[in-house]
Amino acid sequence: MSTPTYLIRRVLQAAAVILIVTIVVFALLHALPGGPARGILGPQATAQQIAAFDHEQGLDKPLPVQYLYYLGQLAHGDLGTSYTLNEPVSQLITERLPKTLLLTVLSAVVGLLLAVPLGMWQAVRRNKPVDYVITTLSFIAYSTPVYFLGLILVLVFSQALPWFPSQAPQGHTLGEVLAYPQGLVLPVAAGAASMVAVFSRYMRAATLENLSEDYVRTARAGGSRSRAILWRHVFRNSLTPVVAMLGYYVPVLFGGALVVEQLFNYPGMGLLFWTAAQSSDYPVLLGCVLIIAVATVTGTLLADIVQRIIDPRVKAGRS
Amino acid sequence: MTAAESLAAPAAGPILQLDDLGVVFTTQSGEVPAVRGVSLLVEPGETLALVGESGSGKSTVALAATGLLADNARATGSAAVAGTEVIGAGEAALAGLRGRTVSMVFQEPATALDPLTRVGKQIAEVVRNHRDVSAKDAAAEAVDLLRRVGIPEPEKRASAYPFQLSGGQRQRVVIAMAIANEPALLIADEPTTALDVTVQAEILDLLRRLAAETGTGVLLVTHNMGVVADFADRVAVMYQGTVVETGPVEDVLLRPSHEYTRRLLAAVPRLSVADAGAPHAARPAASAAGSEPVVELDGVSVVFGRGRNAVRALDGVSLTVHQGETLGLVGESGSGKSTASRVALGLVPPTEGTVSLFGTGLARTRSRARRALRAGIGVVLQDPVASLDARMTVGECVAEPLRVHRRGLTARERQDRVATVLDRVRLPREVARRAPRELSGGQRQRVSLARALVLEPRLLVADEPTSALDVSVQEAVLEVISELQAELGFACLFVSHDLAVVQHFAQRVVVMRAGRVEEQGDTGSTLLRPETDYTRRLLAAVPVPDPVVQRGRRAERLATLAAGRTEATA
Repeated sequence: MSTPTYLIRRVLQAAAVILIVTIVVFALLHALPGGPARGILGPQATAQQIAAFDHEQGLDKPLPVQYLYYLGQLAHGDLGTSYTLNEPVSQLITERLPKTLLLTVLSAVVGLLLAVPLGMWQAVRRNKPVDYVITTLSFIAYSTPVYFLGLILVLVFSQALPWFPSQAPQGHTLGEVLAYPQGLVLPVAAGAASMVAVFSRYMRAATLENLSEDYVRTARAGGSRSRAILWRHVFRNSLTPVVAMLGYYVPVLFGGALVVEQLFNYPGMGLLFWTAAQSSDYPVLLGCVLIIAVATVTGTLLADIVQRIIDPRVKAGRS
Repeated sequence: MTAAESLAAPAAGPILQLDDLGVVFTTQSGEVPAVRGVSLLVEPGETLALVGESGSGKSTVALAATGLLADNARATGSAAVAGTEVIGAGEAALAGLRGRTVSMVFQEPATALDPLTRVGKQIAEVVRNHRDVSAKDAAAEAVDLLRRVGIPEPEKRASAYPFQLSGGQRQRVVIAMAIANEPALLIADEPTTALDVTVQAEILDLLRRLAAETGTGVLLVTHNMGVVADFADRVAVMYQGTVVETGPVEDVLLRPSHEYTRRLLAAVPRLSVADAGAPHAARPAASAAGSEPVVELDGVSVVFGRGRNAVRALDGVSLTVHQGETLGLVGESGSGKSTASRVALGLVPPTEGTVSLFGTGLARTRSRARRALRAGIGVVLQDPVASLDARMTVGECVAEPLRVHRRGLTARERQDRVATVLDRVRLPREVARRAPRELSGGQRQRVSLARALVLEPRLLVADEPTSALDVSVQEAVLEVISELQAELGFACLFVSHDLAVVQHFAQRVVVMRAGRVEEQGDTGSTLLRPETDYTRRLLAAVPVPDPVVQRGRRAERLATLAAGRTEATA
């Protein structure tokens, strides 16, 4: 398949997936008992007041009608208005999304930069002490909940050793956030920990598998040294499956950001999502889910494109 | 020249000298000796063939000679390449030797190259490992090497990835890597086993030419006696980790002195050729060809995929198999022979044409009736390891068709049927309680046969049932199949790339090429006096295990090819 055809097809598929996600989330949100009116108007609100709110927000119409209305708005870039914050959802998201992206991208990059060499090191030193130690640490990091890990990081590196602040930068723009980089260290560390754990395992397995491939023996038979073979051949071959996994890891990263932002009081998407969920702020919740869906689909699409670049066989339709 | 004479001038001595070489593998069940007391010499410019069956240790010897043994192997004794000791040498010393003084060509061209690196770059890597040349010069040299190994358009091919090349071309690339620095010794471990016979003949011609041009000594590891007869000057026969016989190729293949060599050679199926002695008479068909066909393909075409990417795997194929007869389906890889067998099994629906099983059209039957038809077919596949479920016992594997098709049977009756069929394939009844992995390849293939026959089918489809087996085991498995066929009278569709086996085993043969039937007829006439050029070329490419006859055949084949070429250019 030629690259343009492939891209068009994948983008159309992605759009379909996002559409289906909005339908599912829309239906699920409205199936929840209670509804937003009670949360917003308070426990003292009368039935009339609630009915008036529902009418005003269009919540008394049949669900399909509400959904189509929402889609119509969406087509104009209008994500609705927050019930509680009285601000357009699109504005709330544009303010917060860059900060969350910064956090997740930094976590992913730091995580991968650590995970890939660690995994390869483990593979080369298979069943040696280094391998066992890193494996143990990986399992600990992976099985520790992010909020607990975050708390420990704060206790150790902020309270016991006053190296880093316990609160993330509070700036409104990316520039202001980046002006205070030491504040990002602990949030990024908390976000990257499970990434390092999971991806060093993938990389270890992929490297081990490739080290036993015939082409490694061919390269050795041609007089190449182990180190050269590792970096020239095994590295690239092991990276392909890991890159594929990366795309599927985007929602996990977002999920982690939800907790990390809460913990370090970082005003990003996670914090927005958290407060909206607590007050049944439907438009904000839908907007956040939409963004996460777009990010996930984009992540897998990017991973597939990167794979096409690394592995010529993918493009030719075999692998 | 002997080893003693060469002490003064090591360069003129044997290029490979093995002295009391031993290799032990450390496994979970303890130490397993793989090779014991092997002493061999390869002189410059000569080809020594190391032959033996699987597990004889021949590949282990080859790997030990280059220090490429797996981590759990320990080598003792001495292996010297051009006077340099390999055993116990460090990585630096070995890397200096490999690719320059000694090179290797491996069995599996599909996996021997890095899939993500362009082939020119992989060849250039070997060049630059040993010579201080610029990347540009190495790339140019890679193109020259590709030309030398007979790759068309080498400038273009150098930037191809391995998956863009055919199996034969990939093996040529591996050979180009091996000869990049004009090594004194080339070790070829089953270099043609994964290739079609015509490609095999080309690769052997190439290796022979390159070795002659550069005076390279060759250690050829193979199980194929035809290849030995075609290529080797001397032969060493290995059996259970030791060398049992060494000598010039004529002596070992024509006048073997060791009992094992005699047995091994007796088990090799020989291709009978029209001009070599009496024509071979295949077993006459058990029933007249006029009887009702068991399976019939009529004008079957199969197209995989759609639009521009569509592949026509079969194109108007018609064939029939009658009760009690064996039809051999032969052809090179990609000729469509396996697809044809799958169509007969009802696993691949024909795009055009009709298939009938036992007189009933497959296209018209629906689930239940179709299942009843399938109960009449037994299948044996190529890979004896992959075709049995590792989590089932042998008894469960064999009983599975009964569970599906004979639901009325009690557990007791099933056990009886399994025991009977195990007797038939000459396996002890006790194997029913064992796991497939505890059995040898030949035993596993007999378990597959037992499973195929447990429903007493009217048709047995065997897709390369013995090509993963050693010749002696192959002989035993084929014998069991033909005995049971005589007893039970089933028809057999026998798919194979091995013309010699088909000649011995099948009464009729269908030769396939590029999805079409090239020619068909009685094995006796078709494979002795073929009507088409393609079949003639196919037969001419099969090396026979007689060095004298093979020399004549090779000269004849090359003369025919050369004549064809001048005709084509004229």
